[in-house]
Amino acid sequence: MCFKNLPVEFDASGRAFLREGIADPYATTTGPANVPKQLSHEQITDLLRRNGHIKSVDFDPVTRVAGALAFHTVTDLKARKVVEARSVATLFRGYEVIMVGRDPRDAIFITSRACGVCGGVHSACSAMATEMAIGAEPPPLGVLIRNIALALEFLYDHPLHLHLLAGPDYSAMIVAQTNPGLLDLAKRTDASHGDVHGYKTMFDLMEDLNPLSGRLYLEALHMTRVAREAYVLICGKYPHPQTMVPGGMSSTITLTVMNEMLLRLNQFFDYGKKIACIWDDITEFFYDANPEYKKVGARRANMIDTGIFDIPGVYDAKYVNAGTWGDARWYTPGAVVDGELVTTDLHVINMGLEEFVEHSYYEEWTGEGQKTRYESDPTGRPLSPHHPWNKVTKPRPQGQNWKEKYTWDTAPRWDRQAMEAGCYARLWNTAAARKLPDNPFIESTGHSLKVRVPAGKLPEMELEWHIPKVWNAFERNRARAHCVASTAMIAFNNWLAAMERVKIGDLRTSTKFEIPRKGEQLGVGFWGAGRGYLTHHLSLDRGAVSNYQIITPSTWNASPTDRWGQPGPYEEAVLNTPLLEETDDPKGFKGIDILRAIRSFDPCMPCTTHIQCGDEMITREVNTCACGADA
Amino acid sequence: MDAAVQRRVIVGGVDYPDLCDHSAGVLVCERLMTRDLGPRVLVEDLSFNPVAVAQRLQDEPAWARIIFVSAIARGLNPPGSITAYRWDGVLPDPEEVHRAVCDAVTGIIHLDNTLIVARQFQALPDLVCVVEIEPLEHEFGHDLSPAVAAALEPACRCVTRLAQDETYAARLPLSPLGGLAAMSFT
Repeated sequence: MCFKNLPVEFDASGRAFLREGIADPYATTTGPANVPKQLSHEQITDLLRRNGHIKSVDFDPVTRVAGALAFHTVTDLKARKVVEARSVATLFRGYEVIMVGRDPRDAIFITSRACGVCGGVHSACSAMATEMAIGAEPPPLGVLIRNIALALEFLYDHPLHLHLLAGPDYSAMIVAQTNPGLLDLAKRTDASHGDVHGYKTMFDLMEDLNPLSGRLYLEALHMTRVAREAYVLICGKYPHPQTMVPGGMSSTITLTVMNEMLLRLNQFFDYGKKIACIWDDITEFFYDANPEYKKVGARRANMIDTGIFDIPGVYDAKYVNAGTWGDARWYTPGAVVDGELVTTDLHVINMGLEEFVEHSYYEEWTGEGQKTRYESDPTGRPLSPHHPWNKVTKPRPQGQNWKEKYTWDTAPRWDRQAMEAGCYARLWNTAAARKLPDNPFIESTGHSLKVRVPAGKLPEMELEWHIPKVWNAFERNRARAHCVASTAMIAFNNWLAAMERVKIGDLRTSTKFEIPRKGEQLGVGFWGAGRGYLTHHLSLDRGAVSNYQIITPSTWNASPTDRWGQPGPYEEAVLNTPLLEETDDPKGFKGIDILRAIRSFDPCMPCTTHIQCGDEMITREVNTCACGADA
Repeated sequence: MDAAVQRRVIVGGVDYPDLCDHSAGVLVCERLMTRDLGPRVLVEDLSFNPVAVAQRLQDEPAWARIIFVSAIARGLNPPGSITAYRWDGVLPDPEEVHRAVCDAVTGIIHLDNTLIVARQFQALPDLVCVVEIEPLEHEFGHDLSPAVAAALEPACRCVTRLAQDETYAARLPLSPLGGLAAMSFT
């Protein structure tokens, strides 16, 4: 039974139902069992009052992340630990407000602006939510091209994070400031995979992680260009594509386009080998230097992902079949609780989803006198009043108060557990589930993912990512690095399949559709961003959007402490992080271990809609991210 | 380079679109794109990720000069003011440059970031001219304030002259980032 906290059970045929005899099955009076908790506001106040060495240390903004994130900690510099951690999304996103009343096709272009890095995933997710609502199944080439486009977006995203945003934390320049002893060791330590990445010692490698001048930094910038060039061949522009439509894509596919794409995609074969070996070496070097690094950013292995990259002929855009087409995806959907994969069924993932606003700048939408709009999904499975299809976004700007409300992020929970999202969740689910389609390049073993990467300048290699025994900042980065090769090979599998369509002259990429002007329809895009889980839930009423709810990876990861005191993933990871920085001077404290923990999640705070609240009214003053990009 | 090959001049608008006055630089470029500025002058919308702008400029490494035009709120002059300067090319400290790169790759578009990032990656010619329009309205939409609407044509004339007359461009006052020593054009 995959639900431990929600009263959802399954009969012999697998049909879900609510346990009988419970007056209010989704009551929030009882919290989840066996979860970590923050200290109370009173306990923290008392600690601060009684101990001079316990101090507030704030990171505002947290630099080298996308968008606006602040982080508040109370830190015990004597015990070298964090006793309170609060994650703060400082900007209101507001798409949920903007979208109401609009034609659903607008959502493809408007919600894309949720991110200046990965707008395409929002476009795709939005198109999929609409195509489900209106019943528009894409033709085979439409599915394949969409897969390739978004794989290319991930190939832009992963190097960017690894070597521009997170990478500098492990560079010689930063480590010299925070842990000089470690740098001495790096000079004496040979890199294990020097034959692949070309670095003799770990010091050599760490020098090339230096911002601005390091070769790995500069190479990552170049690789973002390669991915972007391939992407615009089928999406028109980056980061906000012009070719995503319900029922496929409006791209024109020719042999030239396919060849131009391959020319760029195959540059990621060697790069995938190199980057995986680099992060294997970084991880093992830090572990060997001090096993305490295994605790940096550590938390329960609780993860959630919707899977991504569909199979033509299996994906039919119908909610009723989501369990089937979800399971068939190249990256398997799943929920992992305490390291165990408890489901791969998209229906079950959707059913366990709730959002809470106890510590968020929103008003509650459930409670006395409020009617739950949908007590079950379109297949009859029960839904919580806190489910996105039932949610009403009611922003309420107010002063920040750690005891009350302190962030614009909500607290999504699955089975009332704080789950984290990331491309690593894809690897974990796919490795554990053993449901990969037959293919020559990627193999799921139940405990690892093997990726055979063809020869380029480097010889053919088999990379293997193992489900780790510990879950921490280093493993997040290592897994992300391995995602480069697996994503490139998924893209290549899809490229080969697309070429088969081109060969037989089946160049259809989209399906004709009409937006129904009568009745009510529900849809959900189950997709993924470079950073992991992504859903767009929508309802249509007489052809217009009546509700639109987006949950991004950072909605999960940056979520605040929930109503039961359970910290969000960033918060939990920081609370578990030992302060290994070599400093006894509080003024010189940089908080590198805290920052490594946070950045390992690849935070991306949606950086778009601002608010004006002079009259407590939301206005549509929109600052977009790279919206004008014609590259 | 072959002496017979004439180096080109690029004019680039750097703004977010659809933000009323704050899109005035791009609007100037849109007008100039419809005009004949001569075979050596290229007008483009460079309102995208500054790293991608740098890479685009590197495609053609021998620009004679570049002229950026942008609506940017400095608060030094009244709305609708047009100022122009040659950027001295001095970069801030490396930490600030790295911050600009991070902002760039995560989607932030800002003239100063574009200058910093493009200079850092050696994508700019020696002569970099900047034309700035001081905006007033910061709203979503296409309506311009009267002051900024009236500034568009003078800004077009300023940019055109800078693009066509190298001597004029080279005589602009030299200024650090932010245009503190800029010359008023109106």
